[in-house]
Amino acid sequence: MITFTDVHKRYWKRRGDPHWVLRGVSITFPSDRNVGVIGINGAGKSTLLRLISGTEMPTRGEIRVNSRVSWPIGLNRGLQRNLTGRQNARFICRIHGFEDELEDRIEFVRSFSDLDDAFDEPVRTYSSGMRGRLNFALSFAFEFDTYLVDEAMGAGDARFKAKTLKAMKMLASRASMIIVSHSDETIKSFCHAGVWLHEGRAYWFDSVRDALKEYKRSIRLGRAANR
Amino acid sequence: MAAVRALRPPFTVTIAVWKALFLREALSRLAQDRIAWALLIVEPLFHVSLLMWVFVSGFRQKAIAGADVGVFIMVGILGFFLVRNMMNRAMEAINASEALFAFRQVMPVDTVLVRAVLEGVLVLVLFLVMFTGGALLEYPVYPADLLGALRALGALWLAGLGLGLVLSVVGNLVEEFARLVRLLFTPLYFFSAVIFPLAILPPAIRDILLLNPIVHGLESLRVAFMPGYQVSPGIDLSYLLTFSVVLIFLGLALHIQYRSRLMTA
Repeated sequence: MITFTDVHKRYWKRRGDPHWVLRGVSITFPSDRNVGVIGINGAGKSTLLRLISGTEMPTRGEIRVNSRVSWPIGLNRGLQRNLTGRQNARFICRIHGFEDELEDRIEFVRSFSDLDDAFDEPVRTYSSGMRGRLNFALSFAFEFDTYLVDEAMGAGDARFKAKTLKAMKMLASRASMIIVSHSDETIKSFCHAGVWLHEGRAYWFDSVRDALKEYKRSIRLGRAANR
Repeated sequence: MAAVRALRPPFTVTIAVWKALFLREALSRLAQDRIAWALLIVEPLFHVSLLMWVFVSGFRQKAIAGADVGVFIMVGILGFFLVRNMMNRAMEAINASEALFAFRQVMPVDTVLVRAVLEGVLVLVLFLVMFTGGALLEYPVYPADLLGALRALGALWLAGLGLGLVLSVVGNLVEEFARLVRLLFTPLYFFSAVIFPLAILPPAIRDILLLNPIVHGLESLRVAFMPGYQVSPGIDLSYLLTFSVVLIFLGLALHIQYRSRLMTA
């Protein structure tokens, strides 16, 4: 379970007043449901994921996480460009405490990512598709209670996409996910509940369809107001 | 796949992170390009040979302030490089590891601590290599007071750690400061009495140099190796130790205070 209590997040701009991305978010992500996070660009969706994953601290308020949460999957951060895919995988394996079954996990990453010989080449030589595949394989190699997924459905070619989709479905059956995406399809097919981020606040919807409906209504209203 | 495991206690996570970082750092430090490991030994070797050539061929001196020129220079150079390399590598640690902060397990301070330990180990290896070479060439390289030498080395290492911890934070928040510190490395070489005995300086200048804590470490190290060395008055290893401990605490406090800014900077 992940609980936000009155969380504020502020970013300083180069000049002028600071930008408050989140203004008092109090929300609970239950461990037994997949949640889709929606909102317009800049609404704070990725910020929310980074706050949960612990790579950023809230400016104010508190976030409690009492389960194993993955790093944000699909972001191309976390890979060291000068090390090989294998060396990167080893490092990630070690910090997650799988020292004793290192080789099994590495083998899984190698075969899942379809990288073959490239697995022993530096990551800087990879194409973006290859990097995405490695990223996916890495996140599937470890068990988490909650997976954080950030717009990640796009990696690789059609064959790899099918593979990812299958793996995601499998994941969804044994762990929960928090997914940030602009694709209605992805959100609808994976998520039960929805969180709509709007003007610094978060709104919970038990049904993801209601969340999407509300989100689209606000966009229409915004357009009408601008006219 | 196995069932989901219990949460690990924080200390276990920290140890796992340190181990993973250490292996990664060692790898990228030594194997990143083809000459990285060679440069590591060539640089001090070059300094030592050049200086010995100046002293022995230029000044026709085989002894300096009661000490053998070769050992005097080797001890000074390696002791200074220990502090300098640690400072240098620690300042770059956070920027170089930025990608790793995507994992919640890795804190900025971890990268600095691991680099400090790695540099310490590397300089210790350098010491062993160069002194073995020296022994084969029949220089009097055996320390008279081994414990004293280790104590002085340890104090220098702590100084490097403290400086590294503080500079890694300050240099990251204020980038201009990092550049300024790099500019100061060369003068520091002279102000640390690396290539001359402190005792030959006139007292007025000596008193100024004695403010530099590194001097105390280097002079203590020399006298531990060579009891005949005319050590300058006013040398006190506890000055260096106090300096180091204060900086370590200051550095750790800064790392706690600015953790989130360091991770996103």
